[in-house]
Amino acid sequence: MNATACYFVSAMADENTEIARGLQRRDPDLLDHLIEKYQHRLLRYLVYLTGCGELAEDLFQETWVRVLERGRQYDGRHDFSTWLFAIARNLVIDHLRRKRPETPYSLADGDDSALLDITATGQPSAFDATVQREQNEQISAGMQHIPAGYREALVLRFQEGMSLGEIANVTGAPLGTVKSRIYRGLSALEAWLRGAQL
Amino acid sequence: MSTDSLNSDPMSSDPHERARMLIASAGLERPGPEDPSKAEHSPVEQSWLVVHLESCTTCREFADNSRVTIRLLRGIQITAGERLVSATQMRVRQRAEELQRQQERLWVVCACCAAVTLSTVVSTALLWRGFAWIGQQARLSTPVWEGGFLVFYLMPAVFTGIFLLARGAFLADHNGSYQVDPRV
Repeated sequence: MNATACYFVSAMADENTEIARGLQRRDPDLLDHLIEKYQHRLLRYLVYLTGCGELAEDLFQETWVRVLERGRQYDGRHDFSTWLFAIARNLVIDHLRRKRPETPYSLADGDDSALLDITATGQPSAFDATVQREQNEQISAGMQHIPAGYREALVLRFQEGMSLGEIANVTGAPLGTVKSRIYRGLSALEAWLRGAQL
Repeated sequence: MSTDSLNSDPMSSDPHERARMLIASAGLERPGPEDPSKAEHSPVEQSWLVVHLESCTTCREFADNSRVTIRLLRGIQITAGERLVSATQMRVRQRAEELQRQQERLWVVCACCAAVTLSTVVSTALLWRGFAWIGQQARLSTPVWEGGFLVFYLMPAVFTGIFLLARGAFLADHNGSYQVDPRV
């Protein structure tokens, strides 16, 4: 590991320790800051996991209340985002269990109408914007058609930029399973996109 | 972290599967050698993949398609509205205050319990001596004054129990509220 990498790892560890201390105190200012910092990432993860914008918003609030209540369990050894996503994931699973007790971990409903606004990041021209919007719609629809476990792995890997080890921590799955889910998810998504373009 | 499961994965015996697993889990857009802490695969695996891709058209095609799909995935953005963020912050603050109040109440309860325990220990010893003295003065037999002590000692708990049972029955009859319907 080079000096720059060491610096970033050390800075992140310091930040995590600070967060752990703040959560021990149940510091509301720290929580305000964390909510603002992780708002988009957490909501995006919940939207893809549940497939429903309204439910994702409810679970978003529940997640932060749970962070407040269980904050003393966070020891700062892992990245805060990993712990946060694991809490959100458990809440989603609890919700799905309550909704459909016969399926311990099942697919979301795929109710596209309830999805939040999905907007393009860059809009250089009207034509490009239209193309990008269509592509976004296609890929969002495709994401709702692949199994939840694959979808989760893809979101954590390519949207949240988590390492394979971090994804394994969040999902509680072995590293090999995480790799397999990413591979199968990507293959399924590509197949769906090819089908949509035909 | 990079090589553990791929080498033990039964699928990795097929070079194409192995290459595609490497492509998918690395994403081909992930930070590579310039940020070794983020690299998911070892240099050996990376160089093996490069060599494989040079000779395999289908895997190269898979890599190109994956790159496009990953770009599309990264291009879409879902943002949380300000309303959601402020509502969440408010809810979290309210819950924090609730927890704070609960904790304060818990401290009061703990302090009361400690005080009651202490006073019970002291008062029991004093009462026992008191009852023994009264029994002696009244020339009562030992089981009699001991029985009296027992009744006196248990009476507050019995009365409290009766009161709580009556209160519970009353609340159950009136849907958990003490407010009586004024029309009655």
